[in-house]
Amino acid sequence: MRTLAKLTWVELKLFGREPFALIFTFAFPVMILVVLSGSFEPDDLAFEGERPADYYLASYVGVVIAAVGLVTVPVHVAAYRERGILRRFRASAVPAASVVGAQVIVGLLTAALGSVALVVAGKLIFDAALPESVGPVIVAFLVSTLAFLAIGFLLGSVARNARAAQAGGMILFFPLWLLSGAGPPPAVMSDGMRRLSAVLPLTYATRALQDSWLGSTSSSTDLLLLAGILVVAGALSIRALRSA
Amino acid sequence: MAAVIEVEGLAKRYGSTVAVEDVSFQVAAGEIFGILGPNGAGKTTTVECVQGLRERDGGRIQVLGLDPREHAATLRRRIGCQLQESALPDRIKVWEALDLFSSVTPGGADWRTLLGQWDLAAKAKASFASLSGGQRQRLFVALALVNEPEVVFLDELTQGLDPAARRVAWDSIRAIRERGATVVLVTHYMDEAEELCDRLAIVDRGRVVALGTPREIVTRTARAIRVRFSTDHPDVAWLGDVAHVRKVERRGATVEVEGTGPVLPLVAAALVGRGIVPWDLRAEQPSLEDAYLDLTGRTTQGAG
Repeated sequence: MRTLAKLTWVELKLFGREPFALIFTFAFPVMILVVLSGSFEPDDLAFEGERPADYYLASYVGVVIAAVGLVTVPVHVAAYRERGILRRFRASAVPAASVVGAQVIVGLLTAALGSVALVVAGKLIFDAALPESVGPVIVAFLVSTLAFLAIGFLLGSVARNARAAQAGGMILFFPLWLLSGAGPPPAVMSDGMRRLSAVLPLTYATRALQDSWLGSTSSSTDLLLLAGILVVAGALSIRALRSA
Repeated sequence: MAAVIEVEGLAKRYGSTVAVEDVSFQVAAGEIFGILGPNGAGKTTTVECVQGLRERDGGRIQVLGLDPREHAATLRRRIGCQLQESALPDRIKVWEALDLFSSVTPGGADWRTLLGQWDLAAKAKASFASLSGGQRQRLFVALALVNEPEVVFLDELTQGLDPAARRVAWDSIRAIRERGATVVLVTHYMDEAEELCDRLAIVDRGRVVALGTPREIVTRTARAIRVRFSTDHPDVAWLGDVAHVRKVERRGATVEVEGTGPVLPLVAAALVGRGIVPWDLRAEQPSLEDAYLDLTGRTTQGAG
């Protein structure tokens, strides 16, 4: 436990020293949220009755989660593998559970902090809606974040090196960001875009967050799909890291 | 003294490549034991199997009475490893790394003391990426010692260090032994092995080709000792009758006598007995390097 606590604290400090990760988790989502929410009339019909700022605030929590899972985690995990940092930890008897545990806690914390930054910006600038009941939002947030952390771990554990992990993460991040509800609203998408959007994992996360934020609860289908991603990607990455 | 490491018939393959074919040796408590060999000979693989960082395919290993395959976690708390090709996160600070690693084994050494001992106090707040090669190596040694290990593994510790830094590292290795730990030193520097190791194993192509003290290995491989001196005395052929002399050759004023064992004092005494007192009598002892090159079948350029 002592090692897990120390490692978590060190990892949190390392995250704070990484400008790239900071920008993608804290600055990028807030910037795009502000630009998009200000680009539409409050009564634009494409948002199916929601105000654009409300619609986007919930979906940009999903973008923060995707940034943590696809941009920061894969590079971090791949660099740890590639540069012998995991070996170093293993040789010094740092438990593998502590290494993974620290990453998961830091991922959850940074995604939560990024979401708080969004909420503050959305509330101050657009007086965006806050969820009526917080419980379902927290459930959707936790399940989505854990699923994307697992995807990030998988990417980081199979990529040849940190550069490949970064490229892979970026290639996944940008289409997911634009097609999963944080770009154009589904109502204005072409049929092809909508069909693609329906199978992207970030769409499940965005929908789960929006449903719980603007309505009452997330659909259990979305939550189950995300949980499935968590289990499969988690198991695959543990297997890949064991043999590394 | 009791053996702290026993390796018997160790074998390890990666796919169809045989990294270690058959390696056996023992290391006694308090020794500095060297593992020497050319690149790719299987040194690092051997040590990694002993540390429990790799699964072996065959053979028997006991470290501090434990099999690293079954008790890897327990064992790693009692040993210290400085690894080849390992690193820390670029932006971690020196004190953070020591603090983190010391938390694994409560009741170990105080990392603040190690910081001073390994001359890192001024660098405590520096990031890993900003350290020089020598500073990184010192940090890795400090990290390997943070749990007060009974056995310390140093893999190519002095690689990439300048000669002055290597001397400092050598003193540090002796200091580790003074503290009571057993040291296993993987190296391909002959002078380092000759200077530091009580005993060593020379490994080549996955097998131990020589095992013993540096002197034993040199003597056993028994290359000739060459004794040289100059004299204007016309007849020195009688030197061939002196015990341990094999060959006498004369080139102008220079005489070269080839022999074995205590040939130098015997030749010197014989010369003095005949009233020949050369000023430049000297012997070329075969070094560990000569023995190593003979054993591993590598040729040395410009030898002769």
